[in-house]
Amino acid sequence: MRLELDAKSFGPRQVLGRLALSVARGERLAILGPSGIGKSTLLRILAGLDTDYRGRLEGADHLALVFQEPVLLPWRDAVANITIPTGCSAATARDWLAQVGLAGHETKFPRQLSLGQQRRLALARAFAAGPDILLMDEPFASLDADTAARMLALTDALLTRSGAGLVLVTHDPAEALALKARALHLGGDPARLQKD
Amino acid sequence: MTGPPRSPALRPGLVPGVLSILAMLLVWTLASQLTDRPQTLPAPWDVAARIGRLAATGELWFNAGMTLFRVVASFALAMAAGMALGLWMGRSRGADQWLNPGLIILLNVPALVVIVLCYIWIGLNETAAILAVALNKIPVVTVMIREGTRALRPDLDDMARAFRMRPWARLRHVVLPQLAPHVAASARAGISLIWKIVLVVEFLGRSNGVGFKIHLLFSSFDVTGVLAWALAFVAVMLAIDLLLLRPWESRANRWRQDAA
Repeated sequence: MRLELDAKSFGPRQVLGRLALSVARGERLAILGPSGIGKSTLLRILAGLDTDYRGRLEGADHLALVFQEPVLLPWRDAVANITIPTGCSAATARDWLAQVGLAGHETKFPRQLSLGQQRRLALARAFAAGPDILLMDEPFASLDADTAARMLALTDALLTRSGAGLVLVTHDPAEALALKARALHLGGDPARLQKD
Repeated sequence: MTGPPRSPALRPGLVPGVLSILAMLLVWTLASQLTDRPQTLPAPWDVAARIGRLAATGELWFNAGMTLFRVVASFALAMAAGMALGLWMGRSRGADQWLNPGLIILLNVPALVVIVLCYIWIGLNETAAILAVALNKIPVVTVMIREGTRALRPDLDDMARAFRMRPWARLRHVVLPQLAPHVAASARAGISLIWKIVLVVEFLGRSNGVGFKIHLLFSSFDVTGVLAWALAFVAVMLAIDLLLLRPWESRANRWRQDAA
């Protein structure tokens, strides 16, 4: 997929300036920058959630999104939280749950899971959608160091196994390194991409 | 419906509830004994005896059944139309701005006016009766569902869009579970409002049902009969609340209760 952005504004304030970005299956990209710079906005544009910008978004890649928060359906159990949004079978859902280490938690509701488990469920949901490119928005932010390290290793393994591409938005260069992602820095006002 | 069987301890409020009903019966008994004209306020046992006679002849079941049919039909119509309108107005600012004046007018037109106009315009038939009741209830449901729709979680909306969920799946799995408390509240408030309006509709233009019976008894100032019909039907509505609405509510709210 390829994005050629001319400008993105919220009201009178221009947040993002001219920038171009492309990513393909198997490619890993990390967008780094301080908080409030417009990283999440850029990811929302890539995900098609924000269409109010000047520029062009091309490519028919199948995308899946992992949010800052797990964003699960609190009224559905773990398996249904995968099958309902992605449309995959219950067997596939159980398989992905096992791959993220949630075997045995299939019938639990999100509130019965710890935050770390909820995030792994969100990760399983994203991979169950069978994406060409996985979009992740600060998915390791509010986790303790141990859990974050395990989540990073898990994400890396699943990306390698599925061959999906990655666009990771983060403020932490170590995460980009751990996922072997090419790092791009977002900076300036309005923000543009700066290569290392 | 779910979880461990309910023991008395799990039903707080049962004892005070029963006691409060007994206290009301006591006050009624005392008042009926103190009044010098038994026709104005008959004793509870006279009313109970009348209910028994009505039930034995089958008259009670036929007329209560007709009233219940009208309640159910207009309730279903009002909930369906009110939820559709409320969702639409809560989601679309344009729809809200265009429809809101009409909604406010409908909210403030007296029930009696709607009923009389329906009978005149449509005729003294079942369609007019059910439509008149539903029209009185639709704006109330609309307002409650609209408020609930405005409070829908934007993050779940994003998730549904990011995963390209189909509209029907989104409505069923993302929107309706969030609206369940509002739907339950408007159903609860609706069912009691509706059966009161159904009686007026029957009083004015039907030849059966509890309202029609009360019309006949009113012309002969038969207070015992009026109370018998009213209480019998209140019992039916209470049974519906206890046996249908509450179990449904607790099932819909199951995910809230069993937090780890």
